[in-house]
Amino acid sequence: MDSSNTAWIIIRRMRIPLLVIIITFSISILGMTLIPGVDDQGHPYKMSFFDAFYFVSYMASTIGFGEAPYTFTYPQRMWVSACIYLTVIGWFYGIGSIVALIQDKQLARELDIARFRNKIRALKEPFTIILGYNNITHRIIDWLNDEGIRVVVVDRDESKIAALDLENFIPEVPSIAADVTHPDTLKLAGIHKRNCEAVVSLFDDDMKNTKVALLAKLLNKRVKLVIKSTTRTQSEHLHNLGVRYIEDPFQFISNRLYLALTSPNLWLLEMWIFGHILRIRDRETLPRGKYIICGYGRMGHALEKALKKAQIPYTYIDLKSEQYKREKSSAVYGDAEDYRELLDAGVKEAAAIIAATKDDLINLTILSTAKKLNPKIYTIGRENTLDDVTIFKSARINRVYILELILAQFTYLFIARPLAYRFVRLLHTKDDAWGARVVEALHTLLGENPIHFEITVDEEHAYALSREVRKGRTVTLGEIRRSRADRTQPEKIYFLLTKSAEGEVTLVPDDDTPVTEGMRLLVAATEESRTDFEYVINNYYELEYVLTGEG
Amino acid sequence: MNTQKVISGFFFILAMTVNFGFFYGDPANLEYHSAYELFAAIVINLIATILKLGDKTQLGSVLLATSLVADIQLIASASVWAFAEYVTKHIGLEETVAIISLSGGALIANIVSVTLFVGDTLKSKR
Repeated sequence: MDSSNTAWIIIRRMRIPLLVIIITFSISILGMTLIPGVDDQGHPYKMSFFDAFYFVSYMASTIGFGEAPYTFTYPQRMWVSACIYLTVIGWFYGIGSIVALIQDKQLARELDIARFRNKIRALKEPFTIILGYNNITHRIIDWLNDEGIRVVVVDRDESKIAALDLENFIPEVPSIAADVTHPDTLKLAGIHKRNCEAVVSLFDDDMKNTKVALLAKLLNKRVKLVIKSTTRTQSEHLHNLGVRYIEDPFQFISNRLYLALTSPNLWLLEMWIFGHILRIRDRETLPRGKYIICGYGRMGHALEKALKKAQIPYTYIDLKSEQYKREKSSAVYGDAEDYRELLDAGVKEAAAIIAATKDDLINLTILSTAKKLNPKIYTIGRENTLDDVTIFKSARINRVYILELILAQFTYLFIARPLAYRFVRLLHTKDDAWGARVVEALHTLLGENPIHFEITVDEEHAYALSREVRKGRTVTLGEIRRSRADRTQPEKIYFLLTKSAEGEVTLVPDDDTPVTEGMRLLVAATEESRTDFEYVINNYYELEYVLTGEG
Repeated sequence: MNTQKVISGFFFILAMTVNFGFFYGDPANLEYHSAYELFAAIVINLIATILKLGDKTQLGSVLLATSLVADIQLIASASVWAFAEYVTKHIGLEETVAIISLSGGALIANIVSVTLFVGDTLKSKR
């Protein structure tokens, strides 16, 4: 695929039309010079080649300036009549070929590729290659664009690429329809470029994801890979390949359920990182007691693991959505047999029921049936696609796990917010008492709706602070979180995590931790205190006042 | 036998021979050189050029280049002739020699082209 393909296609297609035009012209010109005419004084003459060429040129293009240089004789006119049809047909054929060429699929494809390649070449910012365009990746694109990370999309399906073009993302998202498992496609999408940061592959097909991971790894060792995998063996394969980030949505849900059951405060912190408010709503507290899992596939197993680890009693109903639909030819759960099944599983005395099949409609009907049998039961549903979000909302299910949304959130966090991602991972190593302390501290300082952001101590993001630190001055985290209005008062700033330039990570660092150059900070704040904080670390006078009271 | 090869070979060689036909003769006397021959040389050279289009190989590119040179030289020759006849209305020794020598240049380009073409044919095993 070299860039002059378009030119070659045009040249090849235009060969015969050009030949036809040259031949018809030369026949007409030759004829005009051979046929004798009569000039204005009645003397016989023969047209010169120049006169003939001039006349035929305007005759063939049907411009028609009249008979030149002298009025024609009848033999000349007879020849001209023949020439008109000959050359006009030649012209039409040529023009027709050009029009056909413009509509040509192959040419359009080559033009698309050339345009895409130019856009990739023009990308100067860090960018992520996303393979496959759907609800999940649509969200990821939105979030990454907000963070200033550019996105390139490849999807095999042309209609999806057309849909993406209609979205009008800002900044623009270069996209192309191509086979993602082909190495040339990845090269075309710029995987070799220095500023290509990550490749995201979240297809439903695990094999496809593995293939992409392998190709990407071979083409560029340095690039981060976000690869979806739904089985253990697959994940191990990927791990052996050296894929740094493997997304197993069921694993995420299992971890989250475990956190929610055993340490609600840690669960709250994790949810807050993803945009939840910093308070557990009443209906979000999971009840204690027996759990029923409906659907015992990959998700069912993952949930079972979480329940077992949390030492919660449970039973399961092995319900396979596809088999169910085939046997009962209905996607609605809740006939007499199903009622009995639920009663046998102990729905009357169960505390909660989880509908975890692959089919959204079956999940919904399982939960509504269970609710009919036991109005007090806590309902947890699995929602497979984002399309059904409004139905699930109006069904008043206590807790919904949306696989697609969770995938999108984790991908975004991994690519755009590495510190927050680290924070979420480290939460799992802590206990609930620790979580309670952090939540309490955040509450008293920042209220129920704090924001979080990441900042690097360097000249670009913290001009004054990084200069002072480089001079050798010791500045601690406690010192820079004083208010710039009154340094005896603390600013509404809470440090969640620091990562030094050497890669050393500290979760919730102490106030006397010294700031080092290149250190990255994950900070909780309010909108207002964030602005103040950024002001302090960038401005010499403000920093000096906060540190010493002078300036 | 390859029909495509016969057709293109025919036109490449014809372009050279017709070109030579026009060039041959006293370069100072235009009466030895027929305008019809020049016309035929131009048309056949154009056809040869079109036939050389679309060959992506190294040889194809060089062949196309020689053809383009021949085209430009021959069209220049015809243009000088037309200009001398209709604009300056005087065809002296200088103009005559210019017309003929331009076509001579085209002849050399055509000879190079045919040599390359024959050489390539000899090189191929079949």
